[in-house]
Formats: sequence, C-alpha cells, structure tokens
Amino acid sequence: MRRRTLLQRLMYATGIAAASTLPYGFGRLATPEVQADPRTHLRPPGALKDDDAFNAACIGCGLCGEVCPPRCIRFYRREGGYRVNTPYINPEEKACTLCAKCMEACPTEALTETPRNEIDMGIAQIDRSACYPWVDRGICGACVSICPLGERAIGFKYWNQYQPVVKSECVGCGLCVEVCPHPSLPIRIVERSQGTVAPHRL
Amino acid sequence: MHATRKPFFLWRHLNKLRWLTLATVFSMLVLLPFLHVYQTYVAAHAYDLLAPQEQELYDTMEALTAPFVTDPAEDLDAVKGNTWSGNLFGLKLSDPLAALSQVAAGMNLYTPFLLTALIPVVFTLLFGRFYCGWICPASFLYELNSNFAILLRRIGLSTGHRKLDRRFKYLVLGAGLVLSMLTGSVIVAAIYPPAVLGREIYYAVALGGFGAGAVFFAATMLFDLMVAQRGFCRYLCPGGALYSLLGRYRLVRVQRVVENCNDCAKCNAICEFGLDPLRDGFGQECNNCAACIAVCPTDALTFEIRPSDIAYQGPGHLGKRYQHRQRRETPPEVEATA
Repeated sequence: MRRRTLLQRLMYATGIAAASTLPYGFGRLATPEVQADPRTHLRPPGALKDDDAFNAACIGCGLCGEVCPPRCIRFYRREGGYRVNTPYINPEEKACTLCAKCMEACPTEALTETPRNEIDMGIAQIDRSACYPWVDRGICGACVSICPLGERAIGFKYWNQYQPVVKSECVGCGLCVEVCPHPSLPIRIVERSQGTVAPHRL
Repeated sequence: MHATRKPFFLWRHLNKLRWLTLATVFSMLVLLPFLHVYQTYVAAHAYDLLAPQEQELYDTMEALTAPFVTDPAEDLDAVKGNTWSGNLFGLKLSDPLAALSQVAAGMNLYTPFLLTALIPVVFTLLFGRFYCGWICPASFLYELNSNFAILLRRIGLSTGHRKLDRRFKYLVLGAGLVLSMLTGSVIVAAIYPPAVLGREIYYAVALGGFGAGAVFFAATMLFDLMVAQRGFCRYLCPGGALYSLLGRYRLVRVQRVVENCNDCAKCNAICEFGLDPLRDGFGQECNNCAACIAVCPTDALTFEIRPSDIAYQGPGHLGKRYQHRQRRETPPEVEATA
C-alpha cells in the first residue's frame, strides 16, 4: 500500500515535470528542422567556428541584424530547428561588407571582434566550367573589382586579364557572389577546406 | 484618533507613469526597426527618398543619440535592440534570464555578457518583479488583453478564470534551463514573451514577415483569455519565475496600512496577478505595478521599505468587521467609565 502511494506520487511528479516542458515543445514544433544549404547560410563575421558552440552562445536577440548597415543578416525562423533565431547571411541576396558592427554589437561571445584579415566565413570557390571568362564567353572581372580585400584575396590569372583566381587570404564575405552576373553563380562561398577551385566529376 | 499614516500623494499616480513607460518601451520596439531601415537609406546617401515624416523621425532620433556616438556614421546606434538584450544610450543591458539560460546552454561564463545583466539583477533585488509590470513589452499587450476580456464579459462571453498552481512557472524555468543544457541552445528565448515579441516585431518590420514566435505569442494571448487572466505571466513565464525568486526579499514593497483600510476589496479586484492585498497577501509575485494603490479609495496602500511582507494584520480599521469587534469588546469599559 505504501509502495503504491509512493508510485502514484512519483507518476504525478513525472507528469507535472513533463507538463512543464510543454511550452518548449510547442515552440520547437513551430520550427521544424530543415536542412539549410551551407552556401546560402553563412554565419556572420567573427562567429564561433563550431556551430554547436555558436548556438549555445547566441541568445537570439537580433542585435547583429539591427546594426547591420547593408541589412544582410537574416535569421533562421520557421525553418530553423535548433538554430532558430540565430543569424545567417545569404550572399546571393545581400552580402557582408565586413564593417564589423555586428561583432561590436553582439552581447555574447557568439560574434567576437576579429581583425578583418582573420575573419573566416569560408572561402570563395570558382567553378571554372561556368565562369564567363574561364569558358571564353567574354570579359567580366566583377568579383575582382568588388572585393573589399583587393589583390590579396582575389586576382586575375597570370597573363590573362579576366579569369579570376581566389587566393588564400579571402575571408568569405560573399560580395563576389552578390555581384556575379552569371545566373548559376559559379562563384560561391564554401568551407575553407574545400579549396578555391570547384572540383569536377568526369 | 486614527488614519494618521497617509501614503505619499504621488504613489497613487504611479500607475499612469507605469502605463507611460510600458507604452514607451513598446513603441520603441516598433520604432527602432523602422529607424534601422531608414538608416540604411541614409547610409546609401538616399536621405531624400524618405518621406517627410520619416525624415522628421530620423532627425529627432539622430539629435537624441548624437551625444552618445563618436562617429556620425554610427548615429542611432546608441539605442538599439530590445528588452532581451539591447543598447540603451551606450549602456548595454541584457535580461537576467538571457544571461542565466546562456550560461546553462554553453556551460561557461562569459563575463562581459553577464555584466550586462548586472543592473537589471540589482534592480530586481530591490524592486522585485518590477520588470513584469513596468518594462515588459509583452505585459503591455497582455494588460490590454485583459481589458479586452472585460469587454468580452460585458457583452456576455465568459473568459477563463481558472486557478492553477503558481509554482508551476518555477518548474517551467527549471525545465527550460535543463533543456538548454541538453540541447545546447538558448531554448528559453523561444517561449519568453518579451524576447519573442521584440524579435518578431523586428522581423516583421525590417526583414518582412513574422517568424514562428508570432504564433506562439498569439497562443499565449488566447491562453490568457480562455484559461486565466494573465495566465501566462502567473503560471508559465520562466522570466516571471526568475524575477519572483530574485525579488523574494525585495526592499521596496506595496503594503497595507490597516488603520486606513475599509475592507472594500477593490485592490483584490484590480490586481492583475490575482494576489490578495486585502489580506496582506503580496508575496514574491507582486510586481509593484501600483494599480492597487491607484484604486484604493481610502489611501490604505503604500510603499514600504522592508525585506518581508507584514503578516496578516486583521480586518481594516475602517471596515465593519473591525468596528463590530471593537464594539463587542469595548462596552464594559464604556459602562465602567460612565
């Protein structure tokens, strides 16, 4: 009999504890997980490299977006899953200008102030089978002329005026992606380890 | 003979000041995203593209914030953000709940961030749940919502007035911290109404379209209408739980002056949180909103500086119960002197 009342109480307590997670469950249900394309979901400059650490540090206040002059910082919303309300940048729509205001504004360590040369949002990668100058379909150079880091990050191939080549000092701000005139965007921001030239499967 | 202690005459007007603060905070929450949008126009040298009213708004805010920034290009950056975390004229402030849940999620202490929550914590230790009554932008809408409930009742619809257990919100706070730890993300932010509201207004104004939080907020409004008045704040809000705990030994409290009280119970009727000022039942949930002081017809409620509530003082001295009892007890003395 005593064991029974103990069990009942235990079940009651478990029920209440489970009920207290209901609001969180409701919040989580409203934001299902969707696989985000990493090329269109870059973290803002100065973000912690480890994405789990970033999620733990970011409180979702939106300050980085609110100070961003080009308004390039977006937020994971209904599709965010556990990343909901954390910031990202889609360079295909609007790219970062490396003004560093978000890093100053961030109250937590999610975005830490980083010198411009040490920012690591990724690296630009060029698909040489689509880029206009690389397939001899005309002259362009848009990516080279927009780059805020200039010759250190992207330049032209030796002896050729217009075939762009990404160098290792590229920080992955994505301005080249924003201005690229080719509809398939042969330049994109990828993980640094994936290199600056798109691999080709033959 | 009695009614010697009168509360300071301004206390009964505090409620108006409170509504002014709530409305200011809420309107800032709407205006700041707009200003951010104008800022991008101005940064692009397209000031002329703003409508005259927008230019006026921009110029006013620029004049207000100019003393706080060094670089004119950063005008308006001195006031940014929302109540979850923001920059108020150069002073970075964060919600204590944001600090706590971020510590739980990341399992490390990042001092610069924790320091931004210091001022709110100190104020909460002094004034208790004042954030809920005086600043919280969600409170503003919830109070309007409970006024709307009064209208609904007047046209004959019934609204919820269930009594749940007030301690449930502490469990919600605990569950939020544990879940933050387990999932490694600040999950409390998804259900804490002021954070949700601040963020959703920003999304709607500056980025176009609401996120998932808007649905959640609408659900809490319905909860308040259908289950209990201010039900979310009283029974579920993790922030309310944290401030109640921090404000348990607050120094500034609303207290009853028993000599002036006539047992009319208007204070109990006006109290949004369903507390019991009539029987000295303030407790840690009182948010010092001063609505009961404003409604008291006999000046029987006032602010006192003491670390705990006065125990039940009996019926009010101007009320019938007290006077009956007095008459029953005094006649022998009266006869003896006569």
